[in-house]
Amino acid sequence: MSILLTEEQELIGQSARDFAKEYLEPIAVDMDHTGQYPAAAVRALAEHDFLGLFLQGEYGGAEAGYVSLVEAVENLSRTSAAVASIVVNHSLAAYAIQRWGDPGQKQDCLPALAAGRTLGGFAVFEHGPTPGVGPDALQATRTPEGWALKGTKAYVRNAGVAGLYVVLACTDPAAGAKSLAAFIVGAEASGLAVGPLAETMGLKGCPVADLVFDNVILAETALLGGITDGAAIAAETLALASVAEAAQTVGIGQAAVEHAAAYARTRVQFGRPIATLQAIQTLLAETATDCHLARLGLRAAAQLLDQGEPFQVEAAMVKQFLARTGAKLLIDTVQVEGGFGYSEFMPLPRLFRDIAGTTLLEAPADYPEKTIAARLLA
Amino acid sequence: MPNILVCYKWVLNEQDIKIRPDDLSLDTARAKGKISDFDRNAIEEASLIVEQQGGTVDALSYGTPAVRQSVKDVLSRGPNRLLWIGDPGAEVADAMVIANVLAAAVRKAGPYDLILCGEGSSDMFYQQIPARLAALLGLPCVTFVQKLTLEGGTLLAQRKLGDCTELVSVTGPAVVSVLSEINKPRIPSLKQVLGAAKKPSEELALESLGLAPEDLIPKAVRKSPKGFLMNRKNVVFKESDAAANVAQLVASLAAEGLR
Amino acid sequence: MSILTAEQKQIQAEATAFVAKEIIPFAAEFDRTGEFHPYLLDAARESRIFAMAVPKAYGGLEYDALTQAVVLEAWGYGCAGMGTTLAASVLSMDSVLVAGTEAQKRMFFEPMVRGEIGSFGLTEPSAGSDAGNGKSTAVRVGDEYVLNGSKCWITNGSYSTVFVIYALTDPAAGMKGISAFIVEKGTPGFTIGTVDHKLGIRSSNTVELLFKDVHIPAGNLLGKEGEGMKIAMKTLDMARPAIASLSLGLAQRALDECVKHLQRQYPEKAQPGQTLQFKLADMKIEIEAARQLLHHTMNLRDAGLPYSAESAMTKTNAADTAMKVTTQAVQLMGSYGYTSGIAKLMRDAKIMQIYEGTNQIQRLVISRAVLAPARPAVAVQKGGN
Repeated sequence: MSILLTEEQELIGQSARDFAKEYLEPIAVDMDHTGQYPAAAVRALAEHDFLGLFLQGEYGGAEAGYVSLVEAVENLSRTSAAVASIVVNHSLAAYAIQRWGDPGQKQDCLPALAAGRTLGGFAVFEHGPTPGVGPDALQATRTPEGWALKGTKAYVRNAGVAGLYVVLACTDPAAGAKSLAAFIVGAEASGLAVGPLAETMGLKGCPVADLVFDNVILAETALLGGITDGAAIAAETLALASVAEAAQTVGIGQAAVEHAAAYARTRVQFGRPIATLQAIQTLLAETATDCHLARLGLRAAAQLLDQGEPFQVEAAMVKQFLARTGAKLLIDTVQVEGGFGYSEFMPLPRLFRDIAGTTLLEAPADYPEKTIAARLLA
Repeated sequence: MPNILVCYKWVLNEQDIKIRPDDLSLDTARAKGKISDFDRNAIEEASLIVEQQGGTVDALSYGTPAVRQSVKDVLSRGPNRLLWIGDPGAEVADAMVIANVLAAAVRKAGPYDLILCGEGSSDMFYQQIPARLAALLGLPCVTFVQKLTLEGGTLLAQRKLGDCTELVSVTGPAVVSVLSEINKPRIPSLKQVLGAAKKPSEELALESLGLAPEDLIPKAVRKSPKGFLMNRKNVVFKESDAAANVAQLVASLAAEGLR
Repeated sequence: MSILTAEQKQIQAEATAFVAKEIIPFAAEFDRTGEFHPYLLDAARESRIFAMAVPKAYGGLEYDALTQAVVLEAWGYGCAGMGTTLAASVLSMDSVLVAGTEAQKRMFFEPMVRGEIGSFGLTEPSAGSDAGNGKSTAVRVGDEYVLNGSKCWITNGSYSTVFVIYALTDPAAGMKGISAFIVEKGTPGFTIGTVDHKLGIRSSNTVELLFKDVHIPAGNLLGKEGEGMKIAMKTLDMARPAIASLSLGLAQRALDECVKHLQRQYPEKAQPGQTLQFKLADMKIEIEAARQLLHHTMNLRDAGLPYSAESAMTKTNAADTAMKVTTQAVQLMGSYGYTSGIAKLMRDAKIMQIYEGTNQIQRLVISRAVLAPARPAVAVQKGGN
């Protein structure tokens, strides 16, 4: 494993930065104010091949791998982590179908996903303590035609703008979480409704809403993978999410530390730029260190993915590390900018609100520790 | 189906260059390379023509060995092939030397139906290369081009001059230099970025171009570049009455000599 | 939990009830609009809570320091923005308590007893952490001072009746040339500038103050010319624990909401695993330790003992605790935390580490105390205790 990027991966990162400057910088602040979904920017992302980065060439993907994905996500996130969220969540659906889909499903779904004609969403969480448990848990019951889905999925990103969702449902109420299976559901499916848009702290513009299933009928061919594969599909796809979201965290943190450093160089107090004060230097140094180490960690996990190796433990480690230190990247850079860092007329408050959305632990919130301990103690 | 050559220069990104306040010398330690701005328009123009009409685009550059860093960047923007000459002597080359080398490379790799350049480079802005190149190759030269069409073998160019625009038509091969108004370079898609690695690129040895030693000795020698610092006056007009602020600003500007 | 007297418990219960009725139901809405609502002053008028630090002789409640801390924790629990409104008003009157004459105290305290508020005006664009670097001037002309300059990030500015403004009476003397003045709302030349839109405490009004040839009576000078920074520092010592109180309220609220959420999520027979349980336990430990440091600091103050270092420590500690606990709460509650009022707690917490002296300035104060040569123990009894 090399911690250095290949020239291709560097160029992809650079391209993402150039793209962000051209297409995202003009809209980032407004998007945060209005919460409006950036349809034009998503079209541009599609045209620039960001939506099929790791998909195979035969489906129209760029086959560039997962290190390229995180490089792109990090660089997009430096300007707009909200737009990066759209890409990340779309990528989860694409990943699941490429990984577990049969040739028919891949042919039906992947070319549209790769070209960005269809946006993807990944619906796993619920309002209960764990998917498959609770009054609202999404249940899939067998029918003569195939399956009937009833229940609610919570906080689905890209809800309402996605053309298809990969959905985790419980096929045996008695077995609960152990009986999860994955399904491909088209957004137009009868009985499927999108709940009201949630008001998020940040990452505004990436829609978040519940998906309500009221007897949604699916054909047998909608089942993704085997009937007992659901838990594995959820775990592995969420591990990819951990890595990709970590790239968002690092991108936001990098933008913040650069802005705070530039501020510190020009802000004069006590007769000198505050950059000359050790208190400020320490805040910036710790932020830069955490950012750098997280970047290496997430890149290592992405490399394992590129090599087809198991990566879930490394993904959990990055998740756990950033759960401890991610928000701190902005807590400390806002601190450097003091009152200016707290004013929404300046850039850091948006980054503060955004970064908090990239280090969330969904229920059950102890899965990083469990995943890592399971390997250590096997 | 034209066979086009684009000449480009790999320069330091001026935004990364810092001016040392004590002696105004330049600190280029953190400066990364980039395609010179107008050359980017030239590459884009060549790519657009070939996308519409078919044909091929070769890219050519003469610079220090750092030019190697530009290969994938340039190839991701449309050219089919890249030729480059890396020579430490390029650091002090003047426009005459650069033109000599480029012309020699063209003689080796050409002929071309159209040679495109940027109007001037981001760093030196000699604005001499297109004209010198044309003279050395015995070709017509059309400069300050803001709009270009190529039909059959005829070139129609709109030139932006100081006080007017001029329409020029040229038949047969020509050297054309373009302004930034001519197009807005697109950002390469990721597939184009990845595809660049598969396109051919070739380093041409300086010695293989058949140049005499005197062709490579610069006549115009740069002494030392100095930065230009603009200082802010930091005067704030902040009355609660906007009209009072404007009046004070006007008075302040008048005091500085502005009318 | 600290040991409170029966009277303190009563006051705490009243504050909690007031917050439940008048603050909690409205906090989310005022955060969304980002506006301060004067309705709060109307609702609080009868209780005279905005005069909680005003001596009884002037019609105030004269709560001791510990009681004030308990009240502010309750307000911080309900909404840190509205808590800031109260805390900043008390901060402004602290300067008058420290250095005011009888007449000045009446001028400043009577509005508060009526349910009006005040502002403390020290900060300027060039004077943040470098508080003594302000450029505003006060020139003595006859029996008046003429004020010129501006202040920024002043809490309550748009709504305050009375202000304590710090300005240079002797620019050549730098920090030692700063004096403190009482300025009343509506004085000609004194206007409100930009209203700041903030990451958090959005229900608190934060504005720029502009002074253009503002004439104030010479009698509005607090203490003597040149004593401004001394007064400011004494004031901030008194006021820092207020921020610790608000921070505690924030942190406690975050923990309580986290527990509520987990209890809702987990069916009766199931429990969150040890990892989550221990995270809750750690949050509880930090909050309780912060509360004890705050209450100890308030005990010192109430006993007339020096408390400057403790004041800095409790502000730093409680603010850091609030930031940590609210951040963890958002994370543990996942998307629910990110899309609900819990997110507001995290946004509100951030300012606690910044205002009324950044936690870096506090650490300077604390490290000076730590590194100072040991002094012999001194008996402090002077007069009664």
